[in-house]
Amino acid sequence: MKISRKTLGIPYGLFLVLFVIAPLVVIAYFAFTDGTGHLTLGNFVGFFSDPNTMGTLLYSLVLAFVTTLVCLFIAYPVAYVLARSKWKRKSILLLIFVMPMWINFTLRITALKEILTLIEGNLAFHPFLNTVIGMTYDFLPFMILPIYNTLERLDESLLEAASDLGADSVQAFLRVTLPLSTPGIVSGVSMVFLPAMTNYVVLDMLYNSTYIMGSLIGSYFSAYDWNGGSMIALLLLVIICIFTFLTGADESAGKERGGALL
Amino acid sequence: MRKMTLKNLSLFLALTLGATSAGAFFSGENAKEAQAASEKPIVLRVCNWEEYMDLGEWDPEEETIDLESGDILGENALYEDFEEYYLETFGREVIVEYSCFGTNEELYNMLTLGDVYDLVCPSDYMLMKLMTENKLQAFSDEFFDEENPYNYYVRNLSPFIRDTFENHQIGGEPWSRYAAGYMWGVTGILYNPEEVDAEDVQTWGILNNPEYFRQVTIKDNVRDSYFAALGALRSSELTDPAFTGAENYGEALEELMNDTSEETVAQVQEYLQSVKDNVYSFETDSGKADMITGKVLANYQWSGDAVYAMDQAEEDDFYLNFAVPDEVTNLWFDGWCMLKKGIEEDPEKQQVAEAFVNFLSRPDNAVRNMYYIGYTSVISGGEDGDQVFEYLDWNYGAEEDEEDTVAYNVGYFFDPEGAPEDYTLIVPEESLQRQLFAQYPPEDVIRRGALMRFFDGASNAQINRMWINVRCYNINNVPFALRVILVLIICSAMVVPMIRKHKKG
Repeated sequence: MKISRKTLGIPYGLFLVLFVIAPLVVIAYFAFTDGTGHLTLGNFVGFFSDPNTMGTLLYSLVLAFVTTLVCLFIAYPVAYVLARSKWKRKSILLLIFVMPMWINFTLRITALKEILTLIEGNLAFHPFLNTVIGMTYDFLPFMILPIYNTLERLDESLLEAASDLGADSVQAFLRVTLPLSTPGIVSGVSMVFLPAMTNYVVLDMLYNSTYIMGSLIGSYFSAYDWNGGSMIALLLLVIICIFTFLTGADESAGKERGGALL
Repeated sequence: MRKMTLKNLSLFLALTLGATSAGAFFSGENAKEAQAASEKPIVLRVCNWEEYMDLGEWDPEEETIDLESGDILGENALYEDFEEYYLETFGREVIVEYSCFGTNEELYNMLTLGDVYDLVCPSDYMLMKLMTENKLQAFSDEFFDEENPYNYYVRNLSPFIRDTFENHQIGGEPWSRYAAGYMWGVTGILYNPEEVDAEDVQTWGILNNPEYFRQVTIKDNVRDSYFAALGALRSSELTDPAFTGAENYGEALEELMNDTSEETVAQVQEYLQSVKDNVYSFETDSGKADMITGKVLANYQWSGDAVYAMDQAEEDDFYLNFAVPDEVTNLWFDGWCMLKKGIEEDPEKQQVAEAFVNFLSRPDNAVRNMYYIGYTSVISGGEDGDQVFEYLDWNYGAEEDEEDTVAYNVGYFFDPEGAPEDYTLIVPEESLQRQLFAQYPPEDVIRRGALMRFFDGASNAQINRMWINVRCYNINNVPFALRVILVLIICSAMVVPMIRKHKKG
């Protein structure tokens, strides 16, 4: 029996319609209506004119930005050393960095909470710092993997050529290695930045009492305000779209992202 | 062990059922019974709080409650026992589909989204909301017939709870018509007596007390926080003898604690903003663990969870106390109610739902629940046995040779008209600050208990707005120039890779 390509696509097509498109339509409907079902832009106007919700957007952005930066500064050297290592079994080394992902997330954060309490004494004194630490801990593998993948495939002869032409190691890094690893960085950044804006579980568990965008959705829903919650969800989607458009249009970055999903 | 018995049981049932139907088939006499057995089982869809019913599997050696009137032991989950009980008593097979919810709001959203249940167990304010929205099925007249021996609920309900359910009305009808109580309690402060001054926990102001900077926790939901803030803000009025001694104290207290005028909401917001800068965390569940591990010294807590935390801490020889602030406490109830959408006016199904409530209200089952979940049942017992009071004595009563004991009266709950010496326990002195106090607060605490109603449309929106204002970071705290710089940094960080790409191209 011959199975056409189209037939093979049916399961995913169904999935797409049921679990991606349908919920999106519902979210969009709620976001643009008020409690009685009338079309309105009031939800959005309310968000952008309220200093508290705007503050939440800013707080989330700053938090995500700092987390991404910290992740990048830790991940890049690690990925670099790993990729350059002459050791034959570096996949084992890589495994050590990825392994935390296999442990339940709640368990990891609970453990981190205890460790931070030992160090700081009282977690409540440094909520922002703790959140950054928690998120970095959580998202670091997502930054290491794509960068490692690009660096690993970097052609050594390019570096040799650079040194033949008189570049010292710093110059070679800045002029050859760094630009060639940009796709990995971009995909790593997008995989850390976006979840960092919404993952309020880390925030809650580490006792940061300030809301981020994710917690705002939850608070709208628990007040039966589905319109407000959907509005925030849609807003996040737009931010994600802009972000992906700015960075992800790069085709090679797209490839790396596929590799990083491992 | 449990699996074996279950297996045996089903084998036994299969055999007996097989035998009766076979016998009926051959003799032709019991045709009616055979028909009953082959009828489709009734499915009862129950949705309860998580961890809010005895799920059995007790250790017979360690956990048997040996009361004078007999041992109590939870082998199977209560809803499984109900299936067996119903078949034995009413001759029909019932299947209970048991599921759970996490918060009242979650339950409400589930119901609005179209999930169908027959019997749910929301808290007082959610009951009121569902009642107002005409979603509930009234209990039948038979349910209130005290002569019927199977009506365990009306026969064993605490008079105190009965009065409360009858005196509170929604749209001219008392709660009791639509809801049967399950568990109840108060709110207060769980604290570490070695570090916290007992006087400081007698006021809700402890949440904002700089002496415990970053060492107290508050509840992460708007209702509980609103209540505590109002208690602290109105402290002097609430403790004024002229107020507490007034004849209409109860009603005045409830009015005051349900005040959602604009001015009050603004005051609460301001107060909670300063509380936010003083507390360790806003928590729903983690507070208990943080008390036990000593991360915090005091914790805004519901009485049932306080009992649980005190029990847990005791296992590590660490003792926690519970206090109810002098101003006011939030008296709350969780109750069973039937949903119109589920019952669909089917009298058979309604009878099963009512039998389920009655089964849970049988005093021995109430004790099983209390032992398992730590909360206080609305059942006081009486006509069908005194197990609840016996259990209290078994659990909290002093040993015979113990010194420093005090008398502790819980008559208001069991029998308000009885003699004062009835329902008085002789307990070790320290129980006055501990589990017993939390599980069965003394009458003076109950007196300052206020129910909190649900916020309707406009005030709900207003109070949610207030909550968001408390929890969100206000952008006005950031100087305008810094705001611009931050946005620029973030934008450039996103745009730079793109420009690089274009340059390359």
